[in-house]
Amino acid sequence: MFINHALQEINLKIVYYGPGLSGKTSNLEFIYKHLDPKIRSELITLNTKEERTLYFDFMQLELGQIQGKKPKFNLYTVPGQVYYRFSRKVILKGVDGVVFVADSQKSRMGENLDSLLDLEKNLIETGCTLQDFPWVIQYNKRDLPEIETIEKLQSRLNFFGAPFYKGVATKGHEVLSTLQGVIEQVIQKIVI
Amino acid sequence: MSEKQLGNGQQLILSEELYLKISKLVEKLTTSTGAEYIVFCEVNGYPVTHFGDIKEVDLPTISSLAAGNFSATAQMASMLGENDSFKYLFHEGEEQNLYISNVGFNFLLIVVFRVEVALGMVRIYTKKAIASLGEILENANQEEKESKEFLDLEFKTLLSEELSRSLKL
Ligand SMILES: Nc1nc2c(ncn2[C@@H]2O[C@H](COP(=O)(O)OP(=O)(O)OP(=O)(O)O)[C@@H](O)[C@H]2O)c(=O)[nH]1
Ligand SMILES: [Mg+2]
Repeated sequence: MFINHALQEINLKIVYYGPGLSGKTSNLEFIYKHLDPKIRSELITLNTKEERTLYFDFMQLELGQIQGKKPKFNLYTVPGQVYYRFSRKVILKGVDGVVFVADSQKSRMGENLDSLLDLEKNLIETGCTLQDFPWVIQYNKRDLPEIETIEKLQSRLNFFGAPFYKGVATKGHEVLSTLQGVIEQVIQKIVI
Repeated sequence: MSEKQLGNGQQLILSEELYLKISKLVEKLTTSTGAEYIVFCEVNGYPVTHFGDIKEVDLPTISSLAAGNFSATAQMASMLGENDSFKYLFHEGEEQNLYISNVGFNFLLIVVFRVEVALGMVRIYTKKAIASLGEILENANQEEKESKEFLDLEFKTLLSEELSRSLKL
């Protein structure tokens, strides 16, 4: 978090984390399309030729004034592919809140777990842990046929009882409530 | 505010006094180098102050890309066994050049200037300015206000309402 007193700005960093192809970029794309251009920046995507995230996606969300203060949220996605682990570390620097986008498909349980452990490991290196960090889970791709039940996903992935959402990122289902959820977690941590 | 590297979940607060001093220096550097524009941003890519010919809408994207670029390079430097990151990044274009340097641990300076301007001169002025900025940050008195004084429970409630409105939930 960075506060610029003179401008009354509060800058916060929120990172979308999760395994490859889980729908992190799709979340940002929906937010970008849905929001009033007056309150968001352009969407920056640094992609491979195959449209996978190579380094990060970025978009800034700037709300109106609240008590004369201007909260700004910098949204990033990490590249989910295992190969890019160092990039994920770099993007996580200075993070204030995380959305973990899990892939609900049965075949992806292992990748979800690996990615969550990778996140925890990277956070620990910066002196935090998921147990007391502001984060939420989005179980994405709920529209697909071969998906795990929410109960199973909850028991395998959500070991600290983070708020969770059932998303279909490509259609925008629960994308905005996920965003609101993580922002509220972040602010909660600050004011308490 | 003291000049130390911040970890995750930690807060950096820039006082009004410091902001004004930094803004003045950035303005002076822009004029003396003849740069197109200069952005002073936090190391995670939050713009702090800027001067010159840059569109307001480009500020967050330029700053986040410069920050991503700088931290990727810092990671490479540490893999090569360098103790510090590389001192600066320089990118040469057909019409404009881009110069990025860190200012202490927590800030970056982004200088965009036309190719007609000599790089040597930009470097000399920028180096001086960075030294002055570093001194300002180093000597800032440690009246580190808690962010709790800045954000309270009422703020949280109002923010939730504003979010619901903006996201049209
Ligand atoms: N059916 C369905 N497809 C989805 C959903 N969300 C994303 N997809 C698709 O899944 C693919 C990957 O989505 P991305 O958003 O690029 O995934 P990512 O997590 O950013 O992937 P990396 O950048 O490689 O880490 C795309 O083809 C999306 O259209 C969803 O909720 N349902
Ligand atoms: Mg992606």
